[in-house]
Amino acid sequence: MSGNGVTAIVVSKDLEGLLRFCLDALQRALSKITSTMPHEVVLVDNASGVPYLDDLYVARGVVLLRFDTPQSFARVNNLAAARRPNDLYLLLNNDVLLEEDALVCMLRLLNREPGAGICGSRLIFPDGTIQHCGVVFGPDKEGPYHCWRGRPAELVPPANGEYQAVTGACMLARRLVWEELGGLDQSYPFGLEDIDFCLRARQRGWRVMCCNEVASLHFESLTPGRVELDIPSRRRFMERWGGRYTVDG
Amino acid sequence: MKISAIVHTRNSQATLERALKSLVWADELIVVDMASDDATLGIARRFTDRIYHVPAAPRVDGIRNQALEHAIHEWIFVLDSDEYLAEDAGQVLRNYLERYGTRYDAFALPRFNYIAGQIIRGSWWYPNRQVRLFRKGTVRWSDTTHVPPVVTTGHHRVLELTPPGCLHIHHRNYEDLRHFIRKQVEYALLDRYDPDPSAFDFSDYVARAYEELSLRCDPERDGDLSHALSLLMAWDAIIRGLVHWDSLERRTPLGYLKALPVASGKVPWWRVRLHHWGARHYPLAFFARRLVERVCGWRWTVGGRKG
Repeated sequence: MSGNGVTAIVVSKDLEGLLRFCLDALQRALSKITSTMPHEVVLVDNASGVPYLDDLYVARGVVLLRFDTPQSFARVNNLAAARRPNDLYLLLNNDVLLEEDALVCMLRLLNREPGAGICGSRLIFPDGTIQHCGVVFGPDKEGPYHCWRGRPAELVPPANGEYQAVTGACMLARRLVWEELGGLDQSYPFGLEDIDFCLRARQRGWRVMCCNEVASLHFESLTPGRVELDIPSRRRFMERWGGRYTVDG
Repeated sequence: MKISAIVHTRNSQATLERALKSLVWADELIVVDMASDDATLGIARRFTDRIYHVPAAPRVDGIRNQALEHAIHEWIFVLDSDEYLAEDAGQVLRNYLERYGTRYDAFALPRFNYIAGQIIRGSWWYPNRQVRLFRKGTVRWSDTTHVPPVVTTGHHRVLELTPPGCLHIHHRNYEDLRHFIRKQVEYALLDRYDPDPSAFDFSDYVARAYEELSLRCDPERDGDLSHALSLLMAWDAIIRGLVHWDSLERRTPLGYLKALPVASGKVPWWRVRLHHWGARHYPLAFFARRLVERVCGWRWTVGGRKG
């Protein structure tokens, strides 16, 4: 497929039980936009110990790409986007269970706001606290962090807003932005390439929005070994962006 | 470093496209077809014009050696038409060559075997390494079904890749157990057997059956399918013994009554335990094995015994 629809890219390693719930939720959310937009789901098996059996996924219309060696988040997303080009790309983590209306709201916001190129989504932890509702930046080494993280969701108003960055755990990006920036930066081992992507988009005049009308569930960093890669990624990010972003608040 | 890829086909229309798509990174793609009469050649032509025709033969193994002559590059990758590689294959193989290509002549890749809709992970089915990437002129196959090739420059020139996180061959072996049984019978009937009657000992086959039954059985990883497959492989060993005996025109005594107790003694309990331990503690067993190889100069067989 190449055209006027959405390609959803789910990068996953092991955790197949959770993945199936993630894909079920994604397909429910996609079904809400079926009448207006064609869509396609690309599942990237990023070196799971036991490969995902494609028969199971192909039967549900999912395109499965298998990698035998662990790849960076940026590389596999770039490859999936190149393989299945579309007007919009939805990056989704395998531990995000999308709310049914999440995509409708994100699309609406993206189309309503002039110059909007990227849209994130409000995500909550299983205990009902905020996981993500936009990324803000602290001074010096504090760098980027998730705004209101850990605060009970009902205490954070569900207002859509513009941010410097949003998480790639659930991010809708226009193809124009994607191509202008050459996709995600592959020099990041795993993590913060999404924030880098948003900052680069803003440098080129695109606006980054976060849709807070609907909250989806995010377990966060369930994949073993994932967290260790944050440290070199953060170092890479600070080398590039330290002192070059606006400190919020 | 450039790589020539060779794919062997014979009525492979169901699986060939996937195999060839997974080799688009190769600097040269060669298809060696064994008298296909389905859509195999049409599919192959969409990917390459380097198609060679060989007469139908009972086994692909003997033909592999001739096919190697067609390759023009220094490194050769061989894939069967019911196998495929992951998306990162080209990049990873080139990395291996860059990193190890000066010290090794051949690379043994682990293989995922998909049987009856399941990836079989039990002992003797995995990692099931196969020598498939090698320097031209260093590997020879014998004309026998599923016997690992010989690396002519020595075992120390073979790099065995260690999972997890390394490139694998993905092998769509059998759709279901009926398919498995049909193919095993076919292989057993078409295989070559030693024509020297003095070399025949039925107890060797029965011992092999005991081995298959005990070493391939790994229900903790593969569930009940493991029971079924180990029984079938034991049965296959017996069938092969009988086919061998029949090919000698049954002039040698079968020695059935003697074979059973003799064979059971040929598979000592400690070997079974050791093998199961090795399969469960793979990195430690791999290290111990390498150590023994270095110290004693002992050579292990490379690659799987069946698949």
